[in-house]
Amino acid sequence: MKGGILLWLVFLIHFCSWGQSDSVSSLQEVVITATRQERRVGNVAVPVTLIQKTQIQQAGSLRLRDILQEQNGLVMTSAFGVGLQMQGLNPEHTLILVDGQPLVGRTSGVLDLNRIALAGIKRIEIVKGPSSSLYGSEAMAGVINLITESPGKKELSGSIRYGTGNPESGWALPFSSNGFQQVDLAVQVGYQAGKWRFRHSNNFLYSEAISFRPFSTDRVPRPTHRLTHQTSFDRPIGERTELKGLIRFNQDRIQQEFAVQNNGQLIESYGREKNSEWNIQPTITHRFNQRLKMHTRGFFTRYTGDQRLSFIQQPDSSYLDRFEQGLYRIEQQVDWSLDKSTFIVGTGYQLDQARSTRYDALDRIKQNRVAYAFFQWEWALHDKWISVVGARYDDNQLFAAALTPKWSVKYKPSEKWSVQASVGQGFKAPDFRQLYLNFTNNAAGGYSVYGTQDAIRVITELQRLGQIADLQPDFSNLSSLTPEYSTGSNLGVSYQPAQSLSIRLNGFRNDIRSLIDVRQVATRVDGSQIFSYLNVRRAFTQGLETEVKWRPQAHWTLQVGYQWLQTGDKDELDRIKKGMEYLRAPDGSSRVMSTREYIGLPNRSEHQAQVKLTYQPAEDRFLFIRALYRSRWIVANSNGNGVHDDQDEVASGFLQVNLSGGIPIRNNLKLQAGIENLFNYQDVIYLPNFPGRNLYLTLNYTL
Amino acid sequence: MRNPILLLTALIALTACEKDKPTPTIDQRAYSVTTNGNVVTVRNLPADTIVGTTSQGQPIGAGRYTFFSLESNQWIPNSDSNSNRWDLAFAGTTVRVNNLTSGPGAGGAFVFNGPFETLTSVPADSTFRVDNHPVSYAIPRGSGRAWYTYDGPTNLLIPIPGRTLVIRTASGQRAKVDIFNYYRGGVTPSASAPDSIKIRDQRFFHFRFTKF
Repeated sequence: MKGGILLWLVFLIHFCSWGQSDSVSSLQEVVITATRQERRVGNVAVPVTLIQKTQIQQAGSLRLRDILQEQNGLVMTSAFGVGLQMQGLNPEHTLILVDGQPLVGRTSGVLDLNRIALAGIKRIEIVKGPSSSLYGSEAMAGVINLITESPGKKELSGSIRYGTGNPESGWALPFSSNGFQQVDLAVQVGYQAGKWRFRHSNNFLYSEAISFRPFSTDRVPRPTHRLTHQTSFDRPIGERTELKGLIRFNQDRIQQEFAVQNNGQLIESYGREKNSEWNIQPTITHRFNQRLKMHTRGFFTRYTGDQRLSFIQQPDSSYLDRFEQGLYRIEQQVDWSLDKSTFIVGTGYQLDQARSTRYDALDRIKQNRVAYAFFQWEWALHDKWISVVGARYDDNQLFAAALTPKWSVKYKPSEKWSVQASVGQGFKAPDFRQLYLNFTNNAAGGYSVYGTQDAIRVITELQRLGQIADLQPDFSNLSSLTPEYSTGSNLGVSYQPAQSLSIRLNGFRNDIRSLIDVRQVATRVDGSQIFSYLNVRRAFTQGLETEVKWRPQAHWTLQVGYQWLQTGDKDELDRIKKGMEYLRAPDGSSRVMSTREYIGLPNRSEHQAQVKLTYQPAEDRFLFIRALYRSRWIVANSNGNGVHDDQDEVASGFLQVNLSGGIPIRNNLKLQAGIENLFNYQDVIYLPNFPGRNLYLTLNYTL
Repeated sequence: MRNPILLLTALIALTACEKDKPTPTIDQRAYSVTTNGNVVTVRNLPADTIVGTTSQGQPIGAGRYTFFSLESNQWIPNSDSNSNRWDLAFAGTTVRVNNLTSGPGAGGAFVFNGPFETLTSVPADSTFRVDNHPVSYAIPRGSGRAWYTYDGPTNLLIPIPGRTLVIRTASGQRAKVDIFNYYRGGVTPSASAPDSIKIRDQRFFHFRFTKF
C-alpha cells in the first residue's frame, strides 16, 4: 500500500516555515518526584528525565509503553505484558506512580505498561537511581511518576484516532478486512462548580491484534478494549487549606484465541482476560505559614484480574485465574523551609492485601502491614552546592524491616557546567506470590511452585505421604524471605556551552544482593519438580548513559541518546574466575571458560541508542522522526553451563523507526498522522508483544 | 594425444570422478559407534524415546532401558539385562550402573567435576557409588546434579560441559564417560523450536568413553 506514503508527502508539503525559538535546556522545568516537592530540574542532584505533554502528543503515544520505549536507557521486556527495564534492572525493581502513589496489580513482578493510558497525563517524570529513601519498596532502579492534568481552567477537548496495520504484509487499507483496526477516543472536560474545580479525562481504546504466540497456527485478529476514566479535583477549605485529589478507574478486556500444535495434536484455546483497577487519592494540604506546610494523603487502590482459559478439545482442563490486590494507605508529610535548608518529614501506615486462585484458596486473604517514616534534608550552599540527605524506615509485619538511606550532591561551578553524584539504597519487599503461591502447572510437566510461607509445610507433608523422591540441597536453605537490596551510585556531568546545545553524561552502578530466585527444592516420585523462592542471588549492573540535544536552527531539534550497559551475576562470575565453568567445543570436548567470554544477565542489551529529529516551523506544525536501536540480547542458556556466553541463544538487535507529523486545519482543529514501526520490524518469538507497522490519523478538537 | 581439448576434457572428467568417488556417508541421525585411538564415541543411542502422551498430556516412553557395554562397545539386547554383559543402562535422563538393585555386576559410578580430557587416572581412594533404585542412583538424577541441566521455560535438557562420569564396569574395570548431547542427530533444538520437535527428538544419548 503506497497510499500511506503519498498521504505523507502531501502532508509534508503543507509545511511552511515560521516559528518560535527557545533553548534546548530543560533546566527550568519543574520536577516533583526527585525530592517529593517541586524543584527546578537544574537544582536536582539525581538523574531526571521529563516528558512533557507536547512530546507525548507529538509522538502519538497512547499508552505508557509507547512513550517509554522512546526514552534513553529504558528497555521494554515482553514476558507477562510489557515490562520496563531501567539501568538493566528487572521490571519489578522500578516503581510506577500516578501522582505520587503506586500502581498495583503486577504479574510476576511486571506491571503491563499497556495498561496505562496517557490521556489526562500532563507530564511523566523519570528518576533514575534508587529512590527507596522517599518511596519505599520497588524503587530500586528508579521511579516513574505520571503527573495528571490538574483541574483549573475551563476546557472541553477531544480527539479521535484511527489506525490500521497488517503485521504480515505491513500495509492495510483503512477499514479493509485484512487490516487490524485501532480506534482511540479521548475526551477532556474541565469546569468549576462553586469552589470545586474538576477535570475529567475519559479514554477508550479499541485495538485488534493477533496473538503473536510462537507456532500459533491461528492468526485471526482479536479485540482488546481498554477504558480509563480519571477525575482530578481541588477545592480550597479556608484560607490556608486545600483539598486535592484524583479518582481513577481503568478496565481492560483482552481476548486471545490461538491454536497450538502439541505432539501433532491441535489444541485450540480461548483466553478471556478482564482487569479492573480503582485508585482514589485525596490530599489535604495545610499551609501554616510561608515556611511550614503539611500534607495529609489517603490512598486506596484495588486491582482485580480475571483470566479464563478454555480448550476446545479438552473442555475439562479449562481454568479461571483470579487475582485481587488492594493497597490502603494513609500518610502525613511536613515540609519546613528555612533560608538555606528544606526539611521533609513523613510517616505513613499501609495495609497490603491480596487473594488469588493461585494461592492456597481464593477465600483466604493474605495481608501485610507496613508502618514507615522518612526524612530528607536539602541544603543549598553558596548557590553552587546542593546536598540532599534522606532516609526511610519500613517496618513490615511479614518480613524484616528495611532501612534505606540516600545522599546526593550537586556542584554548579558555572552556568555551563554542573556535576552531580548520588549514592543510595533501594529495596524491594518480597511480594505475595513469593510468600503464598501454591501453583501446579499440569499443562507443562506438572511442576509446582510454593511460596516460602507454605513450602516447608507442604513438602514435609508430601514427604510423609511418600510422594517426594528427593530433597534438593536448596530445601535446607528455605527460610523466611527478606527484602532484596541494592546500592546504587550515579555520577553525572552536564555541559551546556550554548543555548542551543546541551550534553549530559551519567555513569551508574547498581549492586544488588539477596535477590529472590526460584530454585528447585524437591522432586516428586513421578519426577516432577517442586520450586520455591530463596534470597540467593547477587548481581550488578553498570553503564554509561549520554544524551545530546542540539538546536542548530530555530525549527530543528536533534536529540541523540545512547546507553552502554554491562551486567552480571556475581556468583556466576566467581565460578568462572575459579575455573569452574566450561564451554563445549564443536567436537564435544570441554574447556575452561574465561571471564571475557561471560555475557552477563539475560534480556540485557549492551547497546541502546536513539536519534530523534523534530522539525517544528510553528506551534501546531511539526514533523517528528525517531529511530530507536537495541542491540542483541541473550534469551536462553543453550549449552548447559550455568552462565551466559556466546554459545547461548540470542535475539537479534533491531531498529525501529517511528514517524509523526501534525498540522492545524482550523483554529481549534488539528490533524496528526503517523507511522509506527515504519520498517515493520517483527520478531514473533522473542518480541511477542511488539506490534507491526501501524498507520494512523488523529483529529484533535479543542473548544 | 592430438587433440588438446579432448585431453583437457578427459582430465576434468578424471578429477571430477575422483571427487565423486563415493565416501562412506554417516547418517547423522542413526545409532553409531566409532573409535578414534582409545576414545569410543557413541551417537544416537535411543533411551526410552517418547512413544505417546499420558491422559494428562505428558510425553512418556515405553519404560524400557537401553543397555550398553563399555567393554565390548556394544548395544546389549534387553534379554541380557540380568547379566554382567552391560555396564550402563539408559532410560530418559536416568543412567544406571550394573550393581545391586540394577544388576548382578560389580558396577559403580561417581561424578567428576572437570573435563573428560583432564581426567587421566582414577585416584585410588575414589569412592564409587551404587544404585539404590528407586531412591537414589550412583549417577544422581535431577537438573544440575550430575551430567545435565534441565530448563523448564525452554523445555530443553543440556549436558553440562566439564562434567565427567567415572564408571566401574560390571567386571570392575574403570572407565570415564562424557555425555555430550541428548537429542537425535546430536543437535539440541533451538530454545524457540516447537515442543513437538523437542519431545520427538529427545532421549538420544551421545557420549564418549575411554577405559583406563
